[in-house]
Amino acid sequence: MSRLLLGVVFLCAPSFSQDARAIVAEVQKRAQTSSQRYEGTLEVSDAKRKVSTKRWVYERLGAAGQAKAVLRFTAPAEVKGVALLIHNHPDRASDQWMWTPAQARDRRIAMQDRRTRFFGTDFTFEDLEERDVDRSTYRMAGEETADGAPCWKIEATPKPEARSQYDRVLLWVRKDIYLFARVESYAKSKLIRRLKYSRMERVQNVWTARELEMHDIERDSRTTLRLEKLEYNVALPADNFTLQALRRES
Amino acid sequence: MMLLRLITWPYVRRHLLRCTLTTAGIVLGVAVFVGMHSANQSVLFAFNQTVDKIAGETQLQVTAGETGFDEEVLERVQNHPDVEAAVPVIEAAVQTGIAGQGNLLVLGVDMTGDRALRDYDLDSADEAIIDDPLVFIAQPDSILVSRAFLERTGLKLNDAISMKTMQGDKRFVIRGVMKGSGLASAFGGNLAVMDIYSAQMVFGRGRKFDRIDLALRRGIPLEQGRQRLQAALGPGLQVDSPASRGQQFEAMSQVYSLTANVTSLFALFIGLFLIYNTFSIAVNQRRSEIGVLRALGASARQIQHLFLIESAIAGLFGSLAGIVAGVFIARGLAGYLSGMFSEIYGVAQRAEEVSANPGLLSAALVIGVATSLLAGWLPARDAARVDPVKALQKGRIQVLSEGENRIRRYAALAALGAGVVCVMLGHRPAFFYSGYLLSVLATVLMAPALCVWLTRLMRPLLKWARPVEGALAADSLLQAPRRTSATVAALSLSLALVVGLAGVAKASYESIRVWMDQALNPDLFITNSESITERSFRFELSLGEEIARAPGIAEVQPVRTVRIVYQGTPVMLVAADAERLSRRVQMRVVEGDSATMYRRVSQGEGVVLSDNFAQLRKLRSGDAIEIMSPAGAVRTRVLGIVHDYSDQQGTIMMDRAFYARHWNDTSVNVFRVYLEKGASRAAVRDELLRRFGDRTRFFVLTNDDLKAFILKVTDQWFGVSYIQILVAIVVAILGIVNTLTVSIADRRRELGVLQAVGGLRSQIRHTIWLEAASIGVLGLIIGYALGGAQLYYILEITRRDVAGLTLDYRYPIEIASLLVPVIIGAAFVAALGPAESAVRGSLVEALEYE
Repeated sequence: MSRLLLGVVFLCAPSFSQDARAIVAEVQKRAQTSSQRYEGTLEVSDAKRKVSTKRWVYERLGAAGQAKAVLRFTAPAEVKGVALLIHNHPDRASDQWMWTPAQARDRRIAMQDRRTRFFGTDFTFEDLEERDVDRSTYRMAGEETADGAPCWKIEATPKPEARSQYDRVLLWVRKDIYLFARVESYAKSKLIRRLKYSRMERVQNVWTARELEMHDIERDSRTTLRLEKLEYNVALPADNFTLQALRRES
Repeated sequence: MMLLRLITWPYVRRHLLRCTLTTAGIVLGVAVFVGMHSANQSVLFAFNQTVDKIAGETQLQVTAGETGFDEEVLERVQNHPDVEAAVPVIEAAVQTGIAGQGNLLVLGVDMTGDRALRDYDLDSADEAIIDDPLVFIAQPDSILVSRAFLERTGLKLNDAISMKTMQGDKRFVIRGVMKGSGLASAFGGNLAVMDIYSAQMVFGRGRKFDRIDLALRRGIPLEQGRQRLQAALGPGLQVDSPASRGQQFEAMSQVYSLTANVTSLFALFIGLFLIYNTFSIAVNQRRSEIGVLRALGASARQIQHLFLIESAIAGLFGSLAGIVAGVFIARGLAGYLSGMFSEIYGVAQRAEEVSANPGLLSAALVIGVATSLLAGWLPARDAARVDPVKALQKGRIQVLSEGENRIRRYAALAALGAGVVCVMLGHRPAFFYSGYLLSVLATVLMAPALCVWLTRLMRPLLKWARPVEGALAADSLLQAPRRTSATVAALSLSLALVVGLAGVAKASYESIRVWMDQALNPDLFITNSESITERSFRFELSLGEEIARAPGIAEVQPVRTVRIVYQGTPVMLVAADAERLSRRVQMRVVEGDSATMYRRVSQGEGVVLSDNFAQLRKLRSGDAIEIMSPAGAVRTRVLGIVHDYSDQQGTIMMDRAFYARHWNDTSVNVFRVYLEKGASRAAVRDELLRRFGDRTRFFVLTNDDLKAFILKVTDQWFGVSYIQILVAIVVAILGIVNTLTVSIADRRRELGVLQAVGGLRSQIRHTIWLEAASIGVLGLIIGYALGGAQLYYILEITRRDVAGLTLDYRYPIEIASLLVPVIIGAAFVAALGPAESAVRGSLVEALEYE
């Protein structure tokens, strides 16, 4: 979840470093804020172009691999009240719990389920995790334009301990604002997913993509995430990000 | 081949009925062997197939018997470095209430991660659900069912199914349909999937899972991963492959397998005698043929081979026919066994197809042919020894020599003596089983002598009843002791089997009745399933207090029964308030002090074992015992041993508080309810149903209902024995028909002479009838004696090696008495055909016979 959000909030600061890892670290650094809140709309368009929509409210506290986040579904009616709590760790995969109000139960979402799709979207749980920059190795693969903007093209290879479903990820980083413009994820040398960032705006001095579109190549389905009412550095109490709060507030 | 074509084939064509009867013994033996084993294997196969299909990509499963374990175990498993994916599962069979559909196997899974191990292969559903488990999870009334189930029931997507749950009647909406031959076809397609946390509520599991299914990380060898995970989780949780569930089920049903083996081998053994008898007679009948062949240059070895090949062919045809018949028997039996195993062991499986295992069929073929060859070996040897000169002299018959008789008698006495010694040293299994075999051998060897002695004793009686016919019948038997004795031996073996099985059934029923009167004395039993052996659902303990407040109730005793694994075998654990229970129940104590042991059990100082548990594991009162709980090994002491028939594999009884402490489980399966004096069972039952019937799964059985259920299950179990008894009687009758048919054919000339010298047709008929009745009487006398010994051995085998149950020796006088008219009547009916053929044939032909 958080990486997706980091994609939204990466800062833009001038840097002329040509070192691939340094560029990614800079992207991450510029995205750092103490907290974040937004209302998200997810539109999933399947291969037959049938569209389903979900809405949620997202809150994050902390950053740089140690963030805690809560996501609460607000629509459609069938899933209203379902909540997700995420505790990210710099040295290992995140812990995730789900709260289902109809059963008044929380459940831990196991780490190995990261390959599975995030509730019917084209994102997998792994795509949504916040990743430490040191969990991959990087190589500069050249320079290209993405949507007309000049970008660095960087190849990231997840380290074995990352236990990633991907064996290679290509990143396009905009030179002007140090924000991801596109991410292509490969497994067994085959392109699996393509993530495109658009509607880039400066929100509270943080460059953010307000719209992200994930394309599952094999299924030919697309998920578009739009971020509304986005705020950074809002005051969020730490005890909102606990299992007790998850149970209490749902 | 030429000899077979020129000699054997014409003989077979001439004596088609006899040849058919000869092979009938093998047909029956093989059919019983194939039928009983195929049916058993089909049930096991169905169970294993359900396990396999549900397992999906699962490599290992973490279980703790039926008790389940706390949710926190899941996190420990998921965090283990060797584990790639681990998902929790709850599994239970539920009555759907849809006519003809039986149970629905409900699988509770966590849809957020379960697809890592299982492919649901969704055929149709709300589009959102196919893609998004969130929609499924967020609505706790969601279930997935198989396409096959929908087609059978006429239901469709978004229809509701009603289920009786621990929260009362609940409607579940079909939000997805699974297709394909994988998961969707498990349990014959009667499979439903629901969210695991819904399943916890529906089945009253609290915060527990039944098991965890897991896959190891790529590259980790299965056994290594299993051992490392087992070491990490401790001994209280079992880490095994899904296939081990099949092995546990197999272990539970091994008593049936053993029964099937005994019956079929016994049937084959009897068939062996039938073949031996017919071939012996055939050798005698064909001695002139043999003489001609020998005179033409055929060697003794060629003659022996000819007869052996004939017996092999008879065995081959008999076995093939037996296999076909066996598959048909299995079809009928599989459903019966499936229901019986569900009732007895509470294990969900659904045998719909008969699995004909090629290995089993090959084994049946080999056993059938081998039996036939073995049976034909002695007659073939005799045929090879035929003196061609004597054989060509018309009218000379080779009879059993006195020398051979003497050797048999001595061998029989030696076998009997050795058998007695073995019984005296019977504490060692090898001696005990040798003793059994020696007693059967002694009877078989003694059969000719016994037949002669008994016929001599019967002769005056027969002569008194019918001066001419009686004497002729007795003399006919005396003149052909080998022919008579083989039939009588086959008949006695069959009857011995009947007496043995009937005796076991009688002893079991009597013991179970006594136990039920002592142990099951509450007025009412409150369960959460129609069947007391079904343990899918659990009550909360607090319900007991509410029940106790109903008018007319004096005491409510909560009981938790659960199957756990003890040293690799599933056994029953019964947890009850020991001291309260002991005030109401006086079970027969085998070891221990009944005055103090229940008090000590209630203080958590130890456990009481059923006698079969103690016997099978060689445990005594005072011994230490280690029982595995999910939290680890529970080391305690055996404080007593009592007679108990709750479970075939044995029962461990402990105090409920002790169980709750170690198993972290306060749930209840059964409430034992004692009423106040004068309270009406029917009125209290109605009141309880009124109060709780709609709130939860709530079934009230009266004492009589429960006892009737137990007797019904016992009937089902002995239903298999009744099949055995029927087979034994059919084989016995077959033996008499066979013997008389060949005997009459053998004596056509003799009977022709009788008619020629003035014997009336009615006299010939009466002679044959009396002969048949005499064979029946001889078989009955020897069968009763052998049956008495057989019963002793079956009871001992049951106690020592099968179920550990001590059953009192009760000779089945009722069945034995019933056998008299059955066997004499069957002998008479069997004699009708041969008698008519004897009197209606051409006298000239008869006189020219041979």
